[in-house]
Amino acid sequence: MAEGGWRHADRVSWRGVRDGFRGMAPLAMFVIPFGIAFGAAAIDKGISPALALLMSALVFAGASQFSALDLWTSPLVIIPILLTTFAVNARHLLLGAALYPWLSAYPPRQRFAIVALLSDPNWALATKAYESGERDAGFLLGSGIILWIVWLVGTAIGALVGSDLGDLSRYGFDVLITVYFLTILISLWRGHDDVLPWLAAAGAAVIAAHLLTPGWYVVVGGLTGGIVGALRHDR
Amino acid sequence: MIADVEALLAVIGMATVTYATRAGGVWLASFMTITPRTEAFLRSLSSSVLVALVVPAIVTGDAASIAAAAVAVGVMIVTRSAVAALTVAVVVAAAWRQAIGFMS
Repeated sequence: MAEGGWRHADRVSWRGVRDGFRGMAPLAMFVIPFGIAFGAAAIDKGISPALALLMSALVFAGASQFSALDLWTSPLVIIPILLTTFAVNARHLLLGAALYPWLSAYPPRQRFAIVALLSDPNWALATKAYESGERDAGFLLGSGIILWIVWLVGTAIGALVGSDLGDLSRYGFDVLITVYFLTILISLWRGHDDVLPWLAAAGAAVIAAHLLTPGWYVVVGGLTGGIVGALRHDR
Repeated sequence: MIADVEALLAVIGMATVTYATRAGGVWLASFMTITPRTEAFLRSLSSSVLVALVVPAIVTGDAASIAAAAVAVGVMIVTRSAVAALTVAVVVAAAWRQAIGFMS
């Protein structure tokens, strides 16, 4: 499996899963308020606590779950919900593609099992770990498992306690997602090679956020930055 | 009862679509030949996705969230601790909004 001098783990080890779980745990605690907000919002929409929990367990993608609540009418019209889910989660396609050089060391069945719990925070943490030499994809799985657990715990609290907590932005929790990604970006910074791709990504994302339906601006910005990075490499 | 079945179908549909986005990127990338150029593409793609998530959120954010983000960047650069940066950001955003609420 060692190609071009790269050290690859060819199977997912318990050590990797545990390191991912532990590495993600302190940050995962910040997911609980979002889970609470989702659980409370779902109950407000007339969704049963059991179904809210099932959605968090099976979908496990906060932004798309909140978007689905906006479209949760009676009677339910399913197709727009599914299309919106795809649009909001289309960025996962890019996250998965970016992981390919790492996951290609594993047989397809393992690859597709590992990405079942792929989300922004554990992808970001695992990418950082990969840059520092981690080669065991169990890290991605383990960091996904702790996020999945806290997402369920938060949803359950929100669904049972309900909207008594009021608007969570009052407590400042709404800034968490943005600030978390900022901290990861700072640790991914590799110097002036990043300047042009990042500026291109930022510009494209801001323009696309004005022009396109929610969700797509991340895809447009990410692809633009990736293409600029590849073009710079040619020179 | 029929409404319950529909809601369950919607959740299963959402789960299927979301898993397809998680697995689809890895699957599509397996048709790419990994050259130095595609590797440069995938590396820039990683960080650019984060840039694309963060910048529109900051541009459209209120003063409290912009202040929180700015302070968090400072804390992160000095301490290299994401937990410290997140904690400070939440405190700044909450305090900022309390202060505005108090004044108005």
